[in-house]
Amino acid sequence: MEKLINVAINDFKLVFRDKSLRIFFVFPVLSVLVVLYGFPYIANLFPIIRPYISILMMSATMQNSLMFGFIYSMVLIDEKDTNVAKVYGVLPVSNFWFVIFRLIAPFLFATFFTIAMLSVEPFYGISFVSNFYYSALAGLVAPLMVLFVATVSRNKLDGMTWQKLFNLPTSLPLLAFFVPASYSFLFAIFPTHWAYQGFKRLISGESFALYLLFGFVYTVFLISLIAKRFSKSHFQ
Amino acid sequence: MITVNNLSYSYPKASGPTLKNLDFDIDQGEIFGFLGPSGAGKSTTQKVLYKILHRFDGTIVVKDRHLNDWGNDYFERIGVGFELPNHYLKLTARENLQLFASFYQKENIRDFEELFEIVGLEDDADKCIEEFSKGMSMRLNYIRAIMHDPDILFFDEPTAGLDPINAQKIKRDIAKLKDQGKTVFVTTHDMATADELCDRVSFIVDGEIRLTENPDVLKREHGKRAVRVELEKGLTKEFPVRELGTNKEFIDFVRSGEISRINTQEATLEEVFIKVTGKTLKE
Repeated sequence: MEKLINVAINDFKLVFRDKSLRIFFVFPVLSVLVVLYGFPYIANLFPIIRPYISILMMSATMQNSLMFGFIYSMVLIDEKDTNVAKVYGVLPVSNFWFVIFRLIAPFLFATFFTIAMLSVEPFYGISFVSNFYYSALAGLVAPLMVLFVATVSRNKLDGMTWQKLFNLPTSLPLLAFFVPASYSFLFAIFPTHWAYQGFKRLISGESFALYLLFGFVYTVFLISLIAKRFSKSHFQ
Repeated sequence: MITVNNLSYSYPKASGPTLKNLDFDIDQGEIFGFLGPSGAGKSTTQKVLYKILHRFDGTIVVKDRHLNDWGNDYFERIGVGFELPNHYLKLTARENLQLFASFYQKENIRDFEELFEIVGLEDDADKCIEEFSKGMSMRLNYIRAIMHDPDILFFDEPTAGLDPINAQKIKRDIAKLKDQGKTVFVTTHDMATADELCDRVSFIVDGEIRLTENPDVLKREHGKRAVRVELEKGLTKEFPVRELGTNKEFIDFVRSGEISRINTQEATLEEVFIKVTGKTLKE
């Protein structure tokens, strides 16, 4: 536990001491304010948008996770750039725990801000328990992105490109709401599809647990797959 | 302490093996050196030994246990000094040490102030690494490797990038570790470091060990057992070491003028290396 806290504090220091990264911590706070004030304002100004607020909301929650995914993937890429990653390869800590240590902070931050966002939204009156389940699933996208971007990128510039590419499949499943229902399964390969579908049912008062559960299992499965590749390359 | 038999290693997608049937052993309390040019396989050997590279052929036994049988506790017992500085640039030297120290058993962690003092970083401990020169970062590399009091130490070019005074400090401390019974495995292409530090050296070229011996023995065996005397007036003469004290010609020569210098004519380690391997260390 002490190691976990040390690594989390260290990562936080690294982000805060990096001028180019600390600014990104502002965006999740802004997102909460946008949901609280911006969405109701726009919905009142343009009533035509009202039916799509839920989609905007889903997108906002995912952008929040992507932001933390981006921040923390940069930390890992920097670690690779400066060869600090090699030091972790000769420490008495297993690759599994190392990955957990590094992913827990972006997951918790993303989950926390999603909870905050859905707690202040004035449209659907989501219960805290439902909010928590959805936010935890949306929060998992952050570590998924951290691992993916840190594994495939050779440097920070690479990382920027990959994170932009990662945004696409994250948002793509939103299209499922604009195509005939029988085609929506085409988006099932994307982990965020399950979160979006769960959210839609959650705010409609339908049963959503299965969607969130499947999304959770599927995202954890993807994380573990990428983690294996990450462990092979990161420490060398 | 470390026994390596028939060690071969090939990098994935490489056309041939980087290490070819290496055999060597390192005793407890010994400083053992791998000498060779860049790309000879020195660092690869160390990487296999500190378990960054897996899937090797051959047998490696460390402290009476096969390397593959060691778990994470292995890393409590070894310390690694990397060839290049690798620290978090946004953290101070102390914060860097504190972070990595938190992964080891607390009771083994050495006093930080004492560590900073060893390498002359006591006034820079709270500076960000961004402000450090390469030499300062290398010194921090060194103390990070020894901070958890490991029994076995791997140093890859431990004095690279250091000025002579700081290189001396590091060499002196490595010698002190040896006196404490620590086992040290050094790779270098710096003959002076190897000569000064190592109890035994192996010459490694193209992934093969060509020779393993004590540096003094090598220099004696491959050099002339003679002394060269140079007088102030410019005259120089060479005499065999054997029965030098009763050599009349030698005595007459040294009495014939002021002596400028007397040198033994043993070979340098570099000369021995070239003679044995047919290669230079800069290749």
